[in-house]
Amino acid sequence: MTNPEPSLESFSALPQGAPAIQASPDMEGRLQELVLVSKDVISFLTDLAVLASARLSTPGNRIHTGVTVIRRKRPEALASSDAAARALDELQNGFGDGPCLTALRNGTTLLVPDLTDERRWAPYVKAAQENGVSSILAVPMDLSGEAEGVMNLYSGCSSGFTAEDISTAEAFASQAASSLRLVLRIAQLSEARNDLAIAMQSRTVIDMAIGAIMAENRCTRDAAFKILTKASSARNIKLREVAAAVISSISGEKQIDTYFDE
Amino acid sequence: MNPFGTEGPEPADRAVEERRGTAERFRKTDLPLARLWTYYYGLGGGIDEMSLDAYLHEALDIPAGQVALIAMAMTELMEGESL
Repeated sequence: MTNPEPSLESFSALPQGAPAIQASPDMEGRLQELVLVSKDVISFLTDLAVLASARLSTPGNRIHTGVTVIRRKRPEALASSDAAARALDELQNGFGDGPCLTALRNGTTLLVPDLTDERRWAPYVKAAQENGVSSILAVPMDLSGEAEGVMNLYSGCSSGFTAEDISTAEAFASQAASSLRLVLRIAQLSEARNDLAIAMQSRTVIDMAIGAIMAENRCTRDAAFKILTKASSARNIKLREVAAAVISSISGEKQIDTYFDE
Repeated sequence: MNPFGTEGPEPADRAVEERRGTAERFRKTDLPLARLWTYYYGLGGGIDEMSLDAYLHEALDIPAGQVALIAMAMTELMEGESL
């Protein structure tokens, strides 16, 4: 493996096929544990960032890690090992461009060995330097189209990442990516389940109100719906709230529950 | 634009326009289809997710009442989003 050349175009996409020798087998178990204990995506990503920092930091060279996950073109989750990394990630998202977002777009690892030699992303680079950063390593995580993710590593030393660090980071990112996919999928499923539970509640109330309107007006279901939706748009009140008002005006019941067991 | 002939040009045109408007709105929101369908179902919606998808791709005509519910679901979901 060659050292990255510090030129104006000072970034190196690492040669593919670097064996994942640094990926220790126990890391698999650690990551699985993280998936199981994390409350949500953010807390998983935070643990991941802390783990990455711990793995790559050396006594003279502390590494700050941030992880950004983008879904539907929006940064969906940001997490970091510490406040410094978080500030740097937010800075970059604020500028809308920078090495990590570029790595994310290109899907390749991007190294900025020394920010003083970097001519791209001028406003961000300047701000990052003011925050004491000298080198940046951005490693994208392949999430198979479910989302996009990137691990952002910041060092206060120039050339803070050796070739070995880079392959360690890449091996770690690729292991972490499969765990992250799992976490994202679990989050998606539980979100869908919550949405469905809310829909059941709402539908019960609305169906009841529709029935009441049908009985009162001797009309069809469609006509009853029309009455309810008209009342909702005219008063700019949610359909479900109009329906609840209809029911409570008839029976005084304020709370209509639908039991939805898992 | 209307593959089903000339019968009732006025209302058919309106339906086509409304469908295009709803489809366009949906594309702009980047709302996941499943979320929209679930919310629409919660309002009392009566078509399945695949038909909703077809409708939003301007490939299926559905009853006017369902159109109104889809539009309403989108509006209410967007309100929640901007909070």
